[in-house]
Amino acid sequence: MDWLEDELRRALAREDPPDGFAERVMARSARGPSGARRWLAAAAMVVVAAGAAGAWRQHQGYEAKREMMLALRLASTPINRIQSEVRGITQ
Amino acid sequence: MLTEVETGCDFRSLVLRHQATVFSIALHFLRDRATAEEVAQEVFFSLHRNLHQIETPAHAAAWLRKVAVQRSIDEGRRRSRRPQVALADVAEPAAGIRPGDPLLSELLRKLVASLPEAPRMVMVLRYQEDLEPAEIAAALEMPVATVKSHLQRSLALLRGKLARRGVGESEWTG
Repeated sequence: MDWLEDELRRALAREDPPDGFAERVMARSARGPSGARRWLAAAAMVVVAAGAAGAWRQHQGYEAKREMMLALRLASTPINRIQSEVRGITQ
Repeated sequence: MLTEVETGCDFRSLVLRHQATVFSIALHFLRDRATAEEVAQEVFFSLHRNLHQIETPAHAAAWLRKVAVQRSIDEGRRRSRRPQVALADVAEPAAGIRPGDPLLSELLRKLVASLPEAPRMVMVLRYQEDLEPAEIAAALEMPVATVKSHLQRSLALLRGKLARRGVGESEWTG
């Protein structure tokens, strides 16, 4: 066996992680995603909710406009009829 | 059907069995204990999320090794934007280093840490994990010939650096 390879095996031998490593891993895994991940998920939910609220407001705007146009059309029909009758009498 | 505990693939058993491997890959590649622990924790969280994919203890070992390698390389790239310890900064050892001397081990760890990314990880997997070139090639997704080339060139480079520091064959052959 080559002396350098022997020394490399000695130098790069496995080392145990700091005390309590396994317990810390188990505890964090039991808690689920990290704080940063939770914040990221919460932020994503806020963005989705804001987008949905915006879309709903836009939809309501379109509905209101459509109803207004319908009301104006309905209201303009009798007015037009009265106007043409008045025009007929005066002529 | 066997349970995860019966197959040895339950999370706790896997953490206990492989914590030294995962931590040491990160430690020897990055040479920073705190960062190595962070990387090792991330590797095990990733395992926790993907535990359903693990079929056998051997599969778990290979999976953990591969993820540890990748996370260590990623962390090394992030850190490479910051100042690193260059080979020129590696302190000269005291004269008269003998086989098994802790000073020589420390010098070798520093010299390995000064290698470029790919040969450094090849050396860690070869001499920490005692993997064969074909296994290293699979873990690093590179051709076996490239692994062998990295090994030969790195050993020659280290031999030259040690010789210039007065450490060589003569101390071992008497």
